[in-house]
Amino acid sequence: MFNNFASKAIVPVALSLTGFVIICSIFLYTSIKGDLMRDTVRQETSLAETVVSATRYTMMTDDRKSLNHIIDTIGAQKGIEHLRIFNKEGVTMFSSNPGELNRVVDKSTAGCIECHSGPEPTVHLGSMELARRFVNAKNHNVLAITTPIYNDAQCSAGNCHFHPAQQNVLGTLDIGLSTTSMDSSLMALRWKMVAFCLMVLILSVGGVSALLRRNLLTPIEQLTNYVKKISKGKLDNEIPKGVNEIETLGQIYLDMAKEKQFAETTLIKIKKTDNTNKGKG
Amino acid sequence: MFLRGKQKQNHHLDPDDGVPSSDQRRRKIQARIFDLKKQIRYSKWWTALFFLISLAAAVNFRFLPPITENIRQFLGASPSPSLISIALIVYAFSALILILGRMNTASVHYRGWSHIGYLSAFYLFFYYSNTLRDNFWTVFIAGLTILSLENYRVWSVCSEAIKNEEKMLTFMDR
Repeated sequence: MFNNFASKAIVPVALSLTGFVIICSIFLYTSIKGDLMRDTVRQETSLAETVVSATRYTMMTDDRKSLNHIIDTIGAQKGIEHLRIFNKEGVTMFSSNPGELNRVVDKSTAGCIECHSGPEPTVHLGSMELARRFVNAKNHNVLAITTPIYNDAQCSAGNCHFHPAQQNVLGTLDIGLSTTSMDSSLMALRWKMVAFCLMVLILSVGGVSALLRRNLLTPIEQLTNYVKKISKGKLDNEIPKGVNEIETLGQIYLDMAKEKQFAETTLIKIKKTDNTNKGKG
Repeated sequence: MFLRGKQKQNHHLDPDDGVPSSDQRRRKIQARIFDLKKQIRYSKWWTALFFLISLAAAVNFRFLPPITENIRQFLGASPSPSLISIALIVYAFSALILILGRMNTASVHYRGWSHIGYLSAFYLFFYYSNTLRDNFWTVFIAGLTILSLENYRVWSVCSEAIKNEEKMLTFMDR
């Protein structure tokens, strides 16, 4: 199967070209996915910071009703899967899902462990370390950010409040966005790349096959037929044309056949002369 | 490597032995056929080894103990995943060019074993940078392409050589 001209020329070219294109496509896909993810995390971090800023005044004034209202309104927005605020002890104080209120979160779960892995909780983390991906109870893919609510001078100095100045983090805000739109964009990109790889494979195999057929296989077939014809003694001058090497080979075969025929004719003549001489003798 | 050793041995034997007898020639041809078949077998074994390593990488080397903070501090920070990926692309490109170049020399020696080392190193680098899950397919496809091309090269050269040797044997048997 692989022992003919066509496959010997096509297999290595198609294999190396398609393989390399697939490697580059996967690399491209991974880096686009990484960039998209970084952008989404950045946007989500910015959204979380906006929510913290928007709720800061209500926290300072201990206006729980307004804070609840803000959390419910933002949590009801399209694409927001959850929005909750935990206090320092990990108790859910406010949530867009009322069923979660007053529950204590496990600090060893994703979203908490990033800061609470050591004996002392980490105060500052990079934006990518704050993010986590999971599938929620509604079977939606979620990208969530847990951002700390830091203490500041107004908080610790306020006469209505009780947070000491040395307490760095007062609580955390956890916001989760649906990644459906990003996932569908990535899926579309994946199919486009598969189609692109298939096109490269078809083009490389088709191109090499067409060139081989035009420049090598057809002339060789013509030469084979021509040689078969002259081996049967039909010496015509219609040498296969188109490729120099094939023309030269055809000419050499024709010259050899002519010389062979001439030698045979001469030999027959000599034999005839010998026979005649013997007969006379 | 094995074949080269055999060729050296044969080279030393020939001048002293004078013209080898037909039995000696037949034995040499049979030995050459055996070596060529061995090269094809080698290529299959090395590919199987690559599949085994890939299987371990596919499960994120779950059976290995986790890399502790002390080891990470000792080894230092890992290169960024995009840098490792670029290195992988450059490696795959040069490996493919070299294999295509070797096709012209009709060398029967299998060189895939070095690629297993490089590819395993890429798996380990991605594992160390905690991005093996995202980059597994890039390394796997690179390995599959490189080893398939190398196997095809060895198979086509060796099977052609085996055919010629067998023809020679049939001619001697006449």
